[in-house]
Amino acid sequence: MLPSLLLEPALSDRLERFLAQPELLFEMVRAFGAPVNLVFPQRIAENVKAFQQIYDEHHLRGRILYAHKTNRSSALLRELAITSAGVDVASLRELQHALVSGFAPDRIIAGGPKNPEFLWLAACAGIPVNIDSRRELDVLTTMVRAFQIPPVTVTIRLSGFESSGVRIRSKASRFGVPVSQIDAVLDVLEQYRDAVRFDGMGFHLDTVSIPEKVVALTECLRITDRARQRGFDPRGIDIGGGFKANYLKHQSQWEDYTTALHQAVLGKRKPLSWNGQGFGLRNDGGVLAGELNAYSWFDSLTGPAYLDRLLSEEAPGFSRPLGTLLLENMYELDIEPGRALVDQCGLTVTRVLDEWTVGGNQLVRLDMNRDDVTMLDNEVFVDPVILPRRERRDGNTEPVGVYFVGNICLESDFISRRQVFCDQLPEPGDLVAFANTAGYLMDFSANHALQQRIARKIAVVEGDDGAWRWWLDEEYWPFSGRVT
Amino acid sequence: MRIDSVIELIGNTPLLRIHPDIHRLHNIDLYAKLELFNPFGSVKDRIAWNIIQPDLDGIRLEERTLIELSSGNTAKALALLGSMHGVSMKTVTNRIKAPEMKRLLLLLGAQIEELPGQSECLDPADTTDPLSQIYRDLSAGDSSYFHTDQYFNPRNTQAHVFGTGAEIVTDLDGQVPDYFIAGVGTSGSSTGTALVLRKYNPDVEVIGIISHKSDFIPGIRNVDEVHEVGLFDPSNYDVIEAVTSAEAIDGMMTLIRRCGVLSGPTGGAAYFGAVRRLRTIDATLAARQTAVFIVCDRVESYLSYLQQRRPELFQEPPRRNSVDVLSRDEITAIPAMGVQEAQGWIEEIQPLVIDLRGPFAFAALHIENSVNIVDELFGELVAGGLPVGSRQPVLLVCPVGEKSRQYAALLARMGHQDARSLDGGVVAWRDAGAPLVGY
Repeated sequence: MLPSLLLEPALSDRLERFLAQPELLFEMVRAFGAPVNLVFPQRIAENVKAFQQIYDEHHLRGRILYAHKTNRSSALLRELAITSAGVDVASLRELQHALVSGFAPDRIIAGGPKNPEFLWLAACAGIPVNIDSRRELDVLTTMVRAFQIPPVTVTIRLSGFESSGVRIRSKASRFGVPVSQIDAVLDVLEQYRDAVRFDGMGFHLDTVSIPEKVVALTECLRITDRARQRGFDPRGIDIGGGFKANYLKHQSQWEDYTTALHQAVLGKRKPLSWNGQGFGLRNDGGVLAGELNAYSWFDSLTGPAYLDRLLSEEAPGFSRPLGTLLLENMYELDIEPGRALVDQCGLTVTRVLDEWTVGGNQLVRLDMNRDDVTMLDNEVFVDPVILPRRERRDGNTEPVGVYFVGNICLESDFISRRQVFCDQLPEPGDLVAFANTAGYLMDFSANHALQQRIARKIAVVEGDDGAWRWWLDEEYWPFSGRVT
Repeated sequence: MRIDSVIELIGNTPLLRIHPDIHRLHNIDLYAKLELFNPFGSVKDRIAWNIIQPDLDGIRLEERTLIELSSGNTAKALALLGSMHGVSMKTVTNRIKAPEMKRLLLLLGAQIEELPGQSECLDPADTTDPLSQIYRDLSAGDSSYFHTDQYFNPRNTQAHVFGTGAEIVTDLDGQVPDYFIAGVGTSGSSTGTALVLRKYNPDVEVIGIISHKSDFIPGIRNVDEVHEVGLFDPSNYDVIEAVTSAEAIDGMMTLIRRCGVLSGPTGGAAYFGAVRRLRTIDATLAARQTAVFIVCDRVESYLSYLQQRRPELFQEPPRRNSVDVLSRDEITAIPAMGVQEAQGWIEEIQPLVIDLRGPFAFAALHIENSVNIVDELFGELVAGGLPVGSRQPVLLVCPVGEKSRQYAALLARMGHQDARSLDGGVVAWRDAGAPLVGY
């Protein structure tokens, strides 16, 4: 018997309770086909509250803006509309979605690089715009002036922050206005006062590193102050997203699995992955090279706790914590969490079609493809929950390492290129549930390859009586089941 | 002892016998090789000098910069050896986890580059691991770096073959210890020393100390990280033992307080790992045996690390005049003064208005004629006694009226007769549309 290297998913109590009664899931898969995506709107409201709590502890005001790109669900967005949160949209369709889901213009921000149509709707609807480039500012101003649209509120997204003393490298970003050009942009904002109203500075770094964000936020404070000195009245600072989420129940399992993977790459144990691939690790003549290129699936500093830590960090050169500096300068703090806000909000479920072995490797085919449950081809290091169709006969209950493969006839269509260890071999008709997929995994990359279906979304709500109620995602409204 | 250069002080470090009352091993003599006595304070002085010495003239002539992947002692030794010879040094690091070390490196003139953190939306094609970054720097067209390459350079191991290992045998009067224990970082010291010891006594047991995976001990790698080291060869070790940071600190405190050896946590890990391993053997022994472990550096660079993990080691008595000693009743007894009321009071009797925010925020916007004493400084002042006359009316202002209320209560406790706090702070003042001045 293989030593089992499990990666059990972290499950909220609600998801535990839901999975404990799988009959409903079997019914849903029967009715809507496989795969199906489930979203749990109650949880997103709870997650907003947890972030709000950190704001309260630091006495800060400002907006918690959900990064819409994380998930396309209408139910989650509509539920969010009755919380204190707003929404950060990055395309014309996302903006339309926010408006029809119940967000007033001042609770929306238009971010990311924008095409003219997106800018136009934002300007006409009075949506604040997070300016991504100098050119975007020019285009917006031209539109506003040409069509006499009321002045548009803008924030400036900055990039290219420089640290002093220790040079903290950040990956070069393709987005935002370089800090070195900020004086020119402030000049332009002065000239454009008739068309745009400057509301503050922001950044969105592609990193989870706190030191990099400390540098960026400190620089932002300095630059916002410079704007104040030039006679602007900035409201706040937007620090973007990247608050992380945790996916695994046990830290030790994550450590054991990754250690085993290192050993496998070095050839010191049986391969743990299809064709022995190393997910960024290489065996360089007996020495381990590269780096495990995987999300930190286990993480103990995530979401609200991560925000709290960042705000408690001292700003270099100020000898004051960042939260205190924001507060005493009377700046509001805007954040744009995505993954952290939909933590524990989703499940992706499908059925087992087949199982067989190839060259000693156990394969299990699922009725879904890799893009239905991953983002940008990143390997998911979280085991799915297997829900057996029926009780097993004797003799078929050995733990077994399997590769899950998909329903597309491409050799590369693996759901897991790593080995997943199951208590017993899944058999056709069993259900397989991937936990915590609402953040990017559920529908960011899903597509119609081979004209396979894209999973239907179902909103599931737990009643006070413990009963589960569900709606098609597009039919769910926050008053559903509360007002008749 | 007259010398011409501190470089002469590298190596020939003392071998200290730890008193049996301390380690409580009955049949084993335990010795500490005190590498902290090297001139720059660590075992890395040996390898830094051994690596650059043969190439030094060339490095200087071509005005090359030393580059290394180090977050501590190697960078320190290279920076000093470099600056003594007019050569600059840059270290590229994931994150220096000891702030004292970082400041010290800047003081020595080293350039530090910290690498970017992991992406939240991961790009699977990303190649930003530290070593790849260094190689990219090295292969850049205008590169004039000399890569000291401590994790792969055989001169690292060699420094210990001719230095550390040979010295131990000499100091033990030609005897080879039965056990040799060292933390595994670059694995240079353990590999090089073990090589010599094995030559004289193939039966010597070599124990490598690593850290637990989720834990962090400066200078020691965990079970996965050791495999990234070119010099690391598992067959050099008879036993590999994992030690937690808590155990390392326990060991370190024993070395410091009982032996007077100002060891850092790595030395503590080696001591703890040594005693734990040897205790299991000790009882079974019929004849006396000898063990040597390495104390590789000094404690001073790790005070923040220790403060974070063992705050009780630094416990100071609570200060008398501090907001921490106030009771809830004392704080609520301070009357809340709203914005309108405060405006009237200022108009009427012109109290001293003290703004407790930072100078950066104060400079931008503040209540006219107020004085800025930042809260930390005000706390220091108050700890020494009342900083204003006890009859001089005072209005304290902070961002939201929380700290100002605490300090007003503290002033009252100390005998001040009219200290008030602006309810809701400067935020409420601004929200009420009351005037603020600034630039």
